[in-house]
Amino acid sequence: MATNLTLNVNGKNYAVSVPSTGMPLLWVIRDLIGLTGTKYGCGIEVCGACTVLVGGQPVRSCDYDVGSAVGKAIMTVEGLAADADGKKAQAAWVDKQVPQCGFCQPGMLMATVGGMKAGHHGTQLASGSSNICVCGTYPRIAKAQQGL
Amino acid sequence: MAETETNVSRRTVLTGVVAAAGTALVVPVVLSNVANSNVAVGTTAGSPTATALGAYLRIDSADNVTLLIGSTEMGQGIMTGLAQLVAEELQLNWTQIKVEHALASAAWPNPYGNPIFGAQLTGGSTSMRGWYMPLRKAAATARQMLVEAAKVVGGTGTWAIIPGGKVSNGTKSLLFSDLVGTAAGLTPPSTVTLATTTNVIGKRMARVDVPAKVDGSAVFGMDVRVPGMVYASVVHCPTLGGVVKTMPTTATGAIALVNLGNAVGVVATDTWSAMNIASSLASKITWTLPTNLASRDSASLQATASRLVADPAAVLNSVKTGGVDAVAALAAAKSKIDVTYNLPFLAHACMEVLNCTASVTATSCEVWAPTQGQQFCIPTIKAITGLDASAITVHTTFLGGGLGRKIEQDYVGQAVKIAKAVGKPVKLIWSRKQDFQNDMYRPCATIRVQAGLDASNALSGLIYRNVSPSINIQRNTKPGNNPEDTGAIAGAADLPYAIGGQRIEYVPLITDIPLGYWRSVGESYNTFAVESALDELAVAGGLDPMDLRRSLLVAGGDARAVAVLDAVKTLSGWTTAATAGTARGVAFLKGFGSYIAVVAQVSQTTVTTATRTTLTIPKVTKLFCAIDCGLAINPDQIESQMEGGLLHGLSAAMWGQVTFANGVPSVSNFSNYRVAKAGDTPTFAVTIVGGTGATAAAPGGVGETGVPCVAPAIANAFAKLTKTRLRSLPFYPGATMSD
Repeated sequence: MATNLTLNVNGKNYAVSVPSTGMPLLWVIRDLIGLTGTKYGCGIEVCGACTVLVGGQPVRSCDYDVGSAVGKAIMTVEGLAADADGKKAQAAWVDKQVPQCGFCQPGMLMATVGGMKAGHHGTQLASGSSNICVCGTYPRIAKAQQGL
Repeated sequence: MAETETNVSRRTVLTGVVAAAGTALVVPVVLSNVANSNVAVGTTAGSPTATALGAYLRIDSADNVTLLIGSTEMGQGIMTGLAQLVAEELQLNWTQIKVEHALASAAWPNPYGNPIFGAQLTGGSTSMRGWYMPLRKAAATARQMLVEAAKVVGGTGTWAIIPGGKVSNGTKSLLFSDLVGTAAGLTPPSTVTLATTTNVIGKRMARVDVPAKVDGSAVFGMDVRVPGMVYASVVHCPTLGGVVKTMPTTATGAIALVNLGNAVGVVATDTWSAMNIASSLASKITWTLPTNLASRDSASLQATASRLVADPAAVLNSVKTGGVDAVAALAAAKSKIDVTYNLPFLAHACMEVLNCTASVTATSCEVWAPTQGQQFCIPTIKAITGLDASAITVHTTFLGGGLGRKIEQDYVGQAVKIAKAVGKPVKLIWSRKQDFQNDMYRPCATIRVQAGLDASNALSGLIYRNVSPSINIQRNTKPGNNPEDTGAIAGAADLPYAIGGQRIEYVPLITDIPLGYWRSVGESYNTFAVESALDELAVAGGLDPMDLRRSLLVAGGDARAVAVLDAVKTLSGWTTAATAGTARGVAFLKGFGSYIAVVAQVSQTTVTTATRTTLTIPKVTKLFCAIDCGLAINPDQIESQMEGGLLHGLSAAMWGQVTFANGVPSVSNFSNYRVAKAGDTPTFAVTIVGGTGATAAAPGGVGETGVPCVAPAIANAFAKLTKTRLRSLPFYPGATMSD
């Protein structure tokens, strides 16, 4: 039974019709809203490629019911440029030339920005994320986080 | 202020179109344009018009130069490296150059085919090696044509290119956009002169794809959106080689179910629904299983390999001999070893699961694929649709890792079949479980090494036997044809070490487990055996393993090899004592047109395995790497590839393993296929040897070069630390992501 919801993503309201309120936020963002920066990696909250902020907190959106996100501010990688912390993190990622394939980086950035919003800096940011990068960009992520 | 949009998905889909742009001369805009997102691409309104200058370059009215590349960007930075060649020749500002993947071409010769092997595919660390000179020449040709055009357009004077992508006669300058129309009509010069400047080549230029990879606009295969698109996923037979016997014709919530032979495709209104339905179908589909399950059982294969590796009657697919008689030399050796190494099957585990978007009509087919083998997509599509190559368009997207898996055509064919069946554009995305359980796995290997040193500590004899499944043989469908597979002994044959007598044998292990090319291919297993064995030989002869390698390389007469080894020796502080509780080990490889030496520093740690046995394993604390990849086009990206390649090698060495129980793979997700996490990252030191100046060799490969030496360097360090030799990979079998 389809349900109509309104989601606030990156400061903009989106009216969506979801097949179930148990649909993971990831697929609502990607398939229904059409913001594809947030990635599907594992579907079981292990890899972190799908990390977004809900109410400022990093969540693994592949296993986060869309119903729980209603009424909360959702931020995806597409919203980083309009966020002070996000902008800083993006600039650090560019400065250290972090990405290789780049697929995990939206999740890496969102986890980092979530950490910044919780008041963490430098190495605290590194220890706060268990996201996976198969390209092995961890040394550069750590360098980028060092200045944040 | 927030604004509300209704029916967002439909609207976005309608604008999320990929389309051609510009004049008749223009090569169509492809999806991977780093300047575009999938939502922004599409209309030509407001876009600068562009004119092609040859197959590779296009210059638009805003003076941007677009380079069309036949190689695939999958993280290795090839868009940037190739752009540097063009920017140097045309003296461009770095912001002037844009890079796109060329469409797949069915032409032969293929203008976008890698000059090393002709085909438009990416693998074997060949992109820079293949394209360095041809692309420089193409760009230099364009430069000369623009200068010629300036004489026509601007009149008298001595015209020459100047920085910023302009042509000047000293008093006035003309923009490329003023000249390209005229230049395109000129006959290309018969001789070209390459630029002598080094403003861009050799510099740490920023990657052209990074901005799009930090703001979410980079379009990976998974991110493609086409008007009217529906979503699909698949469920394969849980046992490798099984095919559909019976299947439901409908399922609640599904738009269609499509029989794909070895899988069922599920079409729905979103990916999540498609994946859920696919998962729930597993119990409702019946499968015809293959009869020869033992050939898909890793324990059974290991038993066969262990027998063949020591069987004098084993049938050799390939044997390479050199120098004196290896058997006699070994018999006379002063110190010798006879050891056997075992390596497992591996999964590719790309961050981006397999996916493909396809649109099929009666007269055309358009595909958007994260592919390393775009040229092969054309025959794949042709076979399914019956369409002529001229009616087939294949766009290459960014790849969320390729690692060799995305050369394959299985997922592309599935998307085309499903799109054809439903008559609508379809985006197919595999679930992570399907991706792990239907891989084309890196072959396992069992390798016996017999080696000896003579009285002067020269490597007098080497008998090497690799028993492993052959990708070539598995793919050769001609009955009775058993082609020699020299790729299976890559990294063991043609070693740069001086060897008195050698015999390198390859014995194919026959299996029906699907096999594929995995980053660093043959070297990914042979280098572990070769470089572990050299250390064991050094121990047997009472020699320092660094010194033994050096003397063998000096005797082999390869100065670049010696220089790389010396560089890592210095970098790692080899001659100073390692920190208490740690030890260092070294490994060396000449491969992929490059030279690399790696020193690992390890400590030890004790873990409890899944079977509750206690295991003491290495913990890597530092990795030192010296690389000579010839002319270093972009030192920053070479370092980046070394860090990443070493970490990829570390993951495989420590945890990488897939086993098969009668055709059922042991892994299903990252939870049970452990890869390196941030906390596993050792300290890195990378030094580039011989990368600059007129004496630098031609560019070598860097994408795969970093992977092979890590496992032997770790095993060698661990043996020094603990006196225990690790001859089987991975070092921590059965580890989960939470270990």
